[in-house]
Amino acid sequence: MLQNKFIFNQSSVSLEIIGLPDYSINENSDYISIISQWKLMIIDKPLIEGNLNHLESIMKAFYCYSSSLLNDEIGSYESTLIDIKPVNYFTHNIFLKSSKPDVKPLNFKIGNSVLADIINCFDQLGSSSKVKNIYSNEFKKLKKKKYLLLFNKNNILNMLFPPIASLFSLFIVSTAFIYIYDDNDKRSFLINKNKLISIESINRLL
Amino acid sequence: MALETIDLNCAESLYSLSDQLNLNEILPNKVTIWKLRNNNPMRNSFNNNNIKLEEFEALIKLTVEMAKFLYPFIRQILQSRDDVIKNPKAWNEFKKRYIELISERFNTNSMKVKRLLDPSLNDEIFIKIILTLALCISEDGYLKLRTTLINF
Repeated sequence: MLQNKFIFNQSSVSLEIIGLPDYSINENSDYISIISQWKLMIIDKPLIEGNLNHLESIMKAFYCYSSSLLNDEIGSYESTLIDIKPVNYFTHNIFLKSSKPDVKPLNFKIGNSVLADIINCFDQLGSSSKVKNIYSNEFKKLKKKKYLLLFNKNNILNMLFPPIASLFSLFIVSTAFIYIYDDNDKRSFLINKNKLISIESINRLL
Repeated sequence: MALETIDLNCAESLYSLSDQLNLNEILPNKVTIWKLRNNNPMRNSFNNNNIKLEEFEALIKLTVEMAKFLYPFIRQILQSRDDVIKNPKAWNEFKKRYIELISERFNTNSMKVKRLLDPSLNDEIFIKIILTLALCISEDGYLKLRTTLINF
């Protein structure tokens, strides 16, 4: 069966995706939803290739690392497959660990320009209508700063619920007490008591 | 201002881009864009105009679109900084012009601006600005830049 192949280029980086459409759900013959192989080619650097799981891990690593760089966090990412650490603010160290036992890990350095090219290749893949979307929403899921989390609808509800619930319960309890110690009731009780006493005294007199 | 450092005619380009992106209602003329840019408290001509959300988003869209057009130059500057010993020209020219623009238009008495002009500190800041622009040229670039600015 003939496989489809799409290439996403950005300056010094090229990402090749090879795979098949899912014929069981009548997908177009020029679409890839089952990625069987991929290759990441960087000029002057070794070829990186693997299966879908590897691609997901590598995309996640690069997206997390770049977003941490942009957000002034400690730019370092470690996983079972790939480690990315900054050497300085314009060089990044990539350490790739092969899933095959006999293959030695691969270590190389890239600059900011290559990092930007890699991210842009992944972005092209994410926004492509020809390949099934695998990891394009990573940037939308960025952690926001704590003060921004305060504006989250759920957080506002969580914050407001306990004081509102306590105020409501206080109100209910206090209204019950108000009812018990109602002045009018007290007065009517006293009046009735006085009437009884007066009736008793009249009876005695009689 | 980083985009203006790369493209000398940036103000004009931004206005023509706002036309292409159908942002005429929010940014009807060059003066509006100029006024919005003056919301930066570091500028000499700072005016607190209470920028609206749609104006903020329109400016981000313009910035992303400009970055897309200027990506080859942005990349060249980043590459020059990556290998500054062998290929320093693009980085040095960018940095020189950026510093000139900052000294000309920003309030140099402010501590933030002094930090931008300090040669021992500004490399890192300038690289981060350029890298941010380089990472925001995709279709989702608008969301990336927006998230980065909100988190800043």
